[in-house]
Amino acid sequence: MLSTSVAPGPAPTVFLSGEMDLDCADTLREAVAEAGRGAEAVVLDFSGVSFIDSSGTGIFVRLCLDLRSQGTPLAARNLTPAVRGVFDMLRVRDLVGEEVFPD
Amino acid sequence: MSERRTDAPAKLQVFRYRPSDGRIQAVIGDLDETLRSTDLVAYASDALSSETFVCHAVANDDEAVADELCFIPQGDHCDILSMRTRGWKRHHGDHRRSLVEILNTLAAAVACGKLRILDAEETRTESGAGDVLQEIAIADSGTLARARDAVQHALELSGIDADTCQRTTLCVSEALTNILLHGGGHGAMTVRRLPGRVRIVVADEGPGLNFLNWIEPPAIGGQASMGYGFKIILDNLDAVALHTCPEGTTLLLDRVVD
Repeated sequence: MLSTSVAPGPAPTVFLSGEMDLDCADTLREAVAEAGRGAEAVVLDFSGVSFIDSSGTGIFVRLCLDLRSQGTPLAARNLTPAVRGVFDMLRVRDLVGEEVFPD
Repeated sequence: MSERRTDAPAKLQVFRYRPSDGRIQAVIGDLDETLRSTDLVAYASDALSSETFVCHAVANDDEAVADELCFIPQGDHCDILSMRTRGWKRHHGDHRRSLVEILNTLAAAVACGKLRILDAEETRTESGAGDVLQEIAIADSGTLARARDAVQHALELSGIDADTCQRTTLCVSEALTNILLHGGGHGAMTVRRLPGRVRIVVADEGPGLNFLNWIEPPAIGGQASMGYGFKIILDNLDAVALHTCPEGTTLLLDRVVD
């Protein structure tokens, strides 16, 4: 199960905590949509994510591409080893671009 | 199963040739009369006698003919993977994988012993081997975390390190997600203890694996693709066995333990 909290600002940070799989789609989309409303950019903080699979990864990439098409860049920070490992396996950087990972 | 639009349909079939009875057995898909049995026997015999993995690209003037045939010697028998791409090719800049790449991934996994393709009888026998540790019905995405926890618990009791444990639960998540997205929406996971290994049996009664779902990378559609999920499974487990037919799919995911 994934839970989220938001630190507001011109570039709000959405803190993610828990597991990202097929079950997290609605939670993540709603949190990012709300944070991204009128924002210059959105930051996703992965430091609390203990697990991610290809479904969770797919949802993240989709969000990334959707926000970018709306003119709101998304950045991903504090990837845990579990997240970094799966992103590497699925070549996520090739799909969304290095700029998404400022760390 | 969701149908994916594509320029050209494709089909994967798996056959088995046993010199002891001289016949070709269909393991996945039907034995098609357009694939000449005498040719299959000749190629399979060559692969067995030379103990060499052999791949044949087949000209497909007639669309019914397979594009690629892989013959994989397995000691007393030869597994034969047939992929019909019907001319589907990856375009420049296209992130989708070609069907030949998928076939090659599968064939390489079979050739190196990582993946076994099972027939129905083998599946029944191997799915029932060992002692049951946990059984969980898979009905919705809310059950994924519970299933992963059950696998993690079984592995921890077996003394598996945290990294191996995490890679195993990732594979289980991929297999279970496939049930939800493509395998009819419900199924079952059974964790079993066998000598020297923990086996996770993932089974559904869906329409069978559709290899066209393996083409798209997961990020593009925003949903999991069993193609990448399956690659994750092959790359991260010690042994995998697969049976799929129009009545359902069974995956055996094995983690070696001390």
